[in-house]
Amino acid sequence: MKRILQEPLVHFLVLGALLFAGYGALNRNAAPPPGRIVISQGQLASMLETFTRTRQRAPTREEFNGLIKDRVREEVYCREAMALGLDKDDTVIRRRLRQKMKFISDDMAAQIQPTDAELEAYLAAHRDSFRVEPQFTFRQLYLDPAKHGENLALDAAQLIAKLNQFGGETNVAGLGDPFMLDNAFTSAPASEVARQFGQEFAVKLGGLQPGHWQGPIESGFGMHLVCVSERTEGRRPALAEVRDAVRREWDDVQRRKANETFYQELLKHYTVTVEEPAAAGAQIKVAQAK
Amino acid sequence: MKMNTRKHSAARTRLAAMSLALVTGGFGQLAMAQTDAPAAARQPPAAVKPDYAPYPDQQFPNRVYWGVAHVHTGYSFDSGMFGVTTTPDDLFRVATGGEVILDNGTRFKQDRPLDWVSITDHAEYMGISDLLRVGDPALLANPQGKRWYEMSKESPQKGVEAAIEAVVSMQTGKPVFDASKITAGAWAHAVSACEKWNQPGVFTTLHGFEWTCAPGGNNLHRTVVFRDGGDRVGQVVPFSTFDSQDPADLWTYMDAYAKKTGGQVLAIPHNGNMSNGQMYDAETFDGKPMDRAYAEFRASHEPLFEATQIKGDGEAHPYLSPNDEFADFEKWWDMNFQKMEPADKSTLNANYVRSALKTGLELQAALGANPYKSGLIGGNDAHLGVVTTPEDNFFGEFANGLPSPERWKTPLVMKHNDPKQGPLVSVWGEQAAGLGGVWARENTREGIWDALKRKECYATTGDRPTVRLFAGWDFAKADLDRADYVANGYAHGVPMGGDLAAAPAGKQPVFLVYAMRDPDGPNLDRIQVIKGWLGKDGKAQERIFDVAVSGGRKIGRDGRCKTSVGNTVDVPNATYSNSIGAPTLSAFWKDPEFDAGQLAFYYVRVIQIPSPRWTAYDAKRYGVTMPDYVPMTVTDRAYTSPVWYTPGT
Repeated sequence: MKRILQEPLVHFLVLGALLFAGYGALNRNAAPPPGRIVISQGQLASMLETFTRTRQRAPTREEFNGLIKDRVREEVYCREAMALGLDKDDTVIRRRLRQKMKFISDDMAAQIQPTDAELEAYLAAHRDSFRVEPQFTFRQLYLDPAKHGENLALDAAQLIAKLNQFGGETNVAGLGDPFMLDNAFTSAPASEVARQFGQEFAVKLGGLQPGHWQGPIESGFGMHLVCVSERTEGRRPALAEVRDAVRREWDDVQRRKANETFYQELLKHYTVTVEEPAAAGAQIKVAQAK
Repeated sequence: MKMNTRKHSAARTRLAAMSLALVTGGFGQLAMAQTDAPAAARQPPAAVKPDYAPYPDQQFPNRVYWGVAHVHTGYSFDSGMFGVTTTPDDLFRVATGGEVILDNGTRFKQDRPLDWVSITDHAEYMGISDLLRVGDPALLANPQGKRWYEMSKESPQKGVEAAIEAVVSMQTGKPVFDASKITAGAWAHAVSACEKWNQPGVFTTLHGFEWTCAPGGNNLHRTVVFRDGGDRVGQVVPFSTFDSQDPADLWTYMDAYAKKTGGQVLAIPHNGNMSNGQMYDAETFDGKPMDRAYAEFRASHEPLFEATQIKGDGEAHPYLSPNDEFADFEKWWDMNFQKMEPADKSTLNANYVRSALKTGLELQAALGANPYKSGLIGGNDAHLGVVTTPEDNFFGEFANGLPSPERWKTPLVMKHNDPKQGPLVSVWGEQAAGLGGVWARENTREGIWDALKRKECYATTGDRPTVRLFAGWDFAKADLDRADYVANGYAHGVPMGGDLAAAPAGKQPVFLVYAMRDPDGPNLDRIQVIKGWLGKDGKAQERIFDVAVSGGRKIGRDGRCKTSVGNTVDVPNATYSNSIGAPTLSAFWKDPEFDAGQLAFYYVRVIQIPSPRWTAYDAKRYGVTMPDYVPMTVTDRAYTSPVWYTPGT
């Protein structure tokens, strides 16, 4: 057992079965006398329901009998395992129990309903996290440096002159060099521009004056002629616009707080003593746990 | 013109297109390109007046959405084992661009947000229905439960008191009420988090779990990914290996889900490299030869293979593909993970996706159905509650691989499970991979899941290069550079994951392939087409064609470019330069040895220029030296879903 536990990639399923079963035995049985196993009506109902939700059908009589036999076997093994103390110092079981405790306090926190005033206050304190990004409506033409070589600057200047002559709303499909990204973008958030063209291009786009073709602007792919037709500045939103996101973050903060309070409450019931590490090889200073 | 990051942009785009077109009417010279309207719009149904704008009839996918259908949080057993406490909420927060503090106190943030995620925690952990859940109607119907609920509503402090009461009641072994009626637990938590973070048009969450089956230590794991919302998914609990170890029973479960809820669900196998020849073999789980019904059963439930992830790249193996100089890439130790010993070479054939695709052709010829007609996608499989792919931001698969000067030499498994024999695999063998690129028209559950189902997706080993292909019979070389190549491609061909059948007389399949590097990543070395076909002897064959290479290098008559792109990696400084390779490549390619009577598949592999591996970043940032057997550079790549060819009858 010890050796298996030392191996990160070993399957924990067997241990898992043991753990669940062990926990189930602890949790569900209203402590029948030793040596007597009772599979209660509640347990039968639970087994039936679990099977039905997994398979989307009721078990056959044979399958149900199999489940019951298996439950009895599980019960026997678990009681014997616990009698032997196999559940003690088992990292998997301890972690699982710890996690179940955390679920409980998470759930308690999840019941707390914020008022609008609380959400407003949270938003006011974290305005920048909820900022609406700047958006760009723009068109771009790609110039492939490999195709234009030394003429790149000249070709770019000529094309810009032509484009500006015909005005900002000109259809540009088919001009420039073939490229996988679109020629036109409507109200694209800055992060979306960065995603498609790279960070460098997005930053440069933010510095362009709207209204006419300009460039070339460099991206990771090559050179681009760009015409920004509209730029919406970034802004701080009202609560109504970002309510779901604020609520999510507010919930998260409450959950963390509640978990910590929960732990501190429980800790009050204990005195914690950490012994000094054995002198030999003790290079790690132990911080006081409390 | 297309932008669909916001809900109403389709309508807005159409309006903009129309006003644009009106304005350009007066400028014949510049409007030239527009006269060549997309083919889809050129042929409206007879007697219907054609629309002026080409866009109303355009339904084709127009963007790549990045995500993974395989990642774990602290809800997974083997994460919790290592003390990982991150939740699905944490993962979604990180995936959308937020920050999380991992369990060793390190702050983590992704280089860029993802577009979609399916969290696939192990079913074996979640499927147990006896966890306490507060707020459940069944609980509220119970007087004690209702009291706790009221307490928790009153104030956070009262909530804590209620929680403590609940805990005390559990520890005594005497439940205050009959818990058997209160089902759900972690699965319910996962489902509710998944609902909470799904934002149609912006970020997609797909419900999922992992069926963690490994009989005898032979890995048969599958992730299971749902199309539907919590109202449907919440009606079932995950199917675990405790329920059955036979994949066919998992598929039956999936059918039962679909029948009960009207929903849809698919499964994706992963890590064939640890299956000991069991993942993609020619037999059923019981060791019987497959029949047609079984082959169809499998193919209809498993439209994708996970081709690459942290525990090794699964595309090809140098032993199976000796003529493929790129096959020896980030190979994990092929092994059975009970015995922890290297697998026998004879089993490798059933471990890798290229050979699985080939076996599929052989089985199709023998049975009349191909069980392995699956597309390719990348997964991540980190167990930390974060997706960790780029080389410079790699946090390892498990908590023992979290960044530290020592992590590279931390053993993952010992040879034969015996510490004295030394490590079989250490953390340095993990690769910072992978991602899935999905071609869709909208970032919604339907948009993403449907693309996965039709295999219009591809795998990458961590970066985000854009790769697109169209295959057809009638493409001309000039189609490659058309401004409307996408509309034209869909009108006259099929995309990745598609089918060609019954070649017209004298025609060969023609491919238009496009690749563009990750905007913030390494340049491209080459585009390759990898062909598999069924030989006259009934054995499947494979061949690699270089179809586009950077830097003016030549492709020989054998279809290969033997000249290396070079290497700019400065290992000590963990840097590279895009002074070699190309930012974009494209290819027009016809299969020169096509035989219309042979079953075949074609997929595209795009190779990037070498860049520093995560180990090089560790060496630089921590000032540590690693031995020569630890690789310091990586040649990341992308694998598309195949296009299959089936002869006519």
